[in-house]
Amino acid sequence: MEAPPCSQVEELQQEQEHGSSLVVGLSLCDSAPLLWRFQDLKTVRSNSLVGALLGSLPRTPRQNIRLGRPLLLMPEEERVLREHHGAAALSAWNQVRNRDAAGAAELRQRYEEEQQRSLEEQSILALEDRKLALLRAMTSSSGSESGAGSDEALQCRLLALEQNFSFPRSALAVQLSTARAGLSHCQEACAFLEADRPIREQDSPRRDARYQVFRDLWGRGFFLTSAGKFGGDFLVYPGDPLRFHAHFIAVCLTLDESICMLDVLSVARLGSNVKKTVLLCSPAPDGSVHYTSLQWSGMM
Amino acid sequence: MADQNKTGGAENFYNEILSPCELFAARSRSHKIPARGQKDFYPDDSEEQRQRLQQSLDEHWNLIAEERVERLGNLVKATWVPSDQIVELQTPAGKFWQTMGFSAEVKQYLLPEEALYLMECGNLLVFHQDLPLSIQDGYEMFLSSDAMSLQQYQVFGHLKRLGYVVHRFDPSSEPSSYVRQLNLPQSRERGGRQLKRKRSPSPTPTCSHTKTPGESLAEKMEDDDKLPESHLMTSAEPPEPQTASPHSAAKGQARTWWMMDAPELEADKRSSPGSPSGRLRWNFSTIPFPDLGSTSRPRCMVPVDTSLLPRDVTVGVCDLDSWMRKINLRKVKMSVKEQQREKHRRRWDVNKDREVQRCRNWAEYHELLARRQAKRQGRPAHLWNREVKPLHDPTQPISTAELLEKISVVKSTNLLEGASRLKCSEEWRICFNVYQPDSVADFKKSNPGKPYSRMCVCSFDGPVPDLRVIKQLAFQSGNVPIVYAVVDYGDISFYTFKDFQLPRDVYA
Repeated sequence: MEAPPCSQVEELQQEQEHGSSLVVGLSLCDSAPLLWRFQDLKTVRSNSLVGALLGSLPRTPRQNIRLGRPLLLMPEEERVLREHHGAAALSAWNQVRNRDAAGAAELRQRYEEEQQRSLEEQSILALEDRKLALLRAMTSSSGSESGAGSDEALQCRLLALEQNFSFPRSALAVQLSTARAGLSHCQEACAFLEADRPIREQDSPRRDARYQVFRDLWGRGFFLTSAGKFGGDFLVYPGDPLRFHAHFIAVCLTLDESICMLDVLSVARLGSNVKKTVLLCSPAPDGSVHYTSLQWSGMM
Repeated sequence: MADQNKTGGAENFYNEILSPCELFAARSRSHKIPARGQKDFYPDDSEEQRQRLQQSLDEHWNLIAEERVERLGNLVKATWVPSDQIVELQTPAGKFWQTMGFSAEVKQYLLPEEALYLMECGNLLVFHQDLPLSIQDGYEMFLSSDAMSLQQYQVFGHLKRLGYVVHRFDPSSEPSSYVRQLNLPQSRERGGRQLKRKRSPSPTPTCSHTKTPGESLAEKMEDDDKLPESHLMTSAEPPEPQTASPHSAAKGQARTWWMMDAPELEADKRSSPGSPSGRLRWNFSTIPFPDLGSTSRPRCMVPVDTSLLPRDVTVGVCDLDSWMRKINLRKVKMSVKEQQREKHRRRWDVNKDREVQRCRNWAEYHELLARRQAKRQGRPAHLWNREVKPLHDPTQPISTAELLEKISVVKSTNLLEGASRLKCSEEWRICFNVYQPDSVADFKKSNPGKPYSRMCVCSFDGPVPDLRVIKQLAFQSGNVPIVYAVVDYGDISFYTFKDFQLPRDVYA
């Protein structure tokens, strides 16, 4: 892998200072590898792996343009992480939740206590907030008036506010956690995923070719995402997709696979329509990958 | 942002729990999303580019890291019931109840995908064993390949976020193919109409029974080969077929006095053709009709036989002159060519034609004429008098569509042809009914009406639906179009297959 640019090295060092290793926790949902923890998403991105966000964005849930966590990894991304010992399997929900009655009761009690504490703290904060608002309102309305009279009135009002103030439970702000953490989180048994863990899909020559191509391009510093809509295997970006357009559509083939002319034509047409270069990629037996680009040239 | 305690251990690094202070401060959060700027084409290691990238990334992480914070009073509370794979509401449902959820006994329930979507929207707080579930818990507990898979939930969420109403598809709630085949409301009518034959309108099927005596008599009359109109006569009196046939016969008699013997409609009498049973019969060969237009004009006319006239009608001498003046007797002006042609025509004797001489009787002569006519019109007889005939007679008018139909070797078909015979596939099934967003205001869960479309979820990794699957699902769906939602990791593409008939008619 190429030496990552400066900013990423810093980030790595910071994480190492924290004492956490460069490992992300994978959770399986319906046998798909998902990342839930925010730091895991950052780690993965800093390794130029993009993934795909699936969930609603908390700030604006009812739109599809920007999505939120979880992050879904492509099989190639997951495999790359595992081969670099960068992925650990987080405990599934049933391992976390199925505990004995005593343990469950304890957790419930902790939860109640936390809620109560939160209620009290928020109540105080709310009162402070109201006082400040009152102060601002009174000083702005009084304007140039000064003197003990207005001060007294102010004190009176503040006292009345304090006495009559109530913070109902319904006003309590609660968090709907995205990732499983906090009370229900127990110390993970981080089982490091070995590279030879059986992959969900069967190994086929095509899958293997895809992975070889992915690893080669990723190793050169490109960012790759899935390109189903473009008729190819991967979209290849020269930099982070947030800032750059894709340059290539990578179509992965094994060296001995034959491709019919119609397919070549249709993928070339598609590529020229979306202004991207089509790359036919085939891994060679020696580990390198052969790339052929298609360019539409008119001979008039 | 999550609280990061820099002096803490690994656990704090991943801690995403907000403190009460942060929870309180969340009230004043912005609800806007920053707009994404223009992208660059190529990384050029410039500082400007790096800064823009960092800014984009920071914005991105801010949005991603934000946790959902809601007022407890705004949240509907529910519990997860694993045994039934259902979510039971503990507090009354909110606005979402109009399009989601169902009631059973006294309680309100939500399906797992509906509950998960509402959790992601920040409207629902689901408990399990008295502890609140995180979104991750929801995904892992509610989604599985047997009930609702992750891909199906992706499609569900995508559509819900756009505002559609999405329900699970229940195959048993659709009328089965057998019921549709029966097409019950119309079949009786059709059968009744078939009994009528080509008679004038008589609405009740009972007509057919009383008609039969009349019909058989009409057939007899046809056999006689003399009165092609008489059966029409009988049919012209449809409303009272129950009355005895002699009644109709009497009416018939009144109108047929100038024809051949009116048929005796009593069963015992069958008049033989040719015998005058007290009726007049005209022998046209003996009645002279003067030809006033011929060149040899008769100066006088033979008086008419009084037996041919009606009673009490007398005829005097006919004044020919006035009539002659009314006839155009002027000679036709013809050009020389026309005169020659006319002369030739007069001289031409059909009997001199060899082919005509070969005809031994009138039937053969008619055949000769027909043959000559056919040849003139492009319909030669030798093509048409065999077993294998031309597909179409060029003298007959025909539309382009019908002609194409006749000469076609391959028949065009439509999507649903033969679909009723197909059995359901194991892998492919319709997942959802989708209703349009603007119907939400008057949407009724008990009577949702016809869906806008039905969804079938698949992925780019899997097989493309073949014709068999498309036919079978289209048939199962009835008159609602099917949309295939193809999931490609984070992306969803929607495809439909529509019937298309090649145009066959030419409109000038």
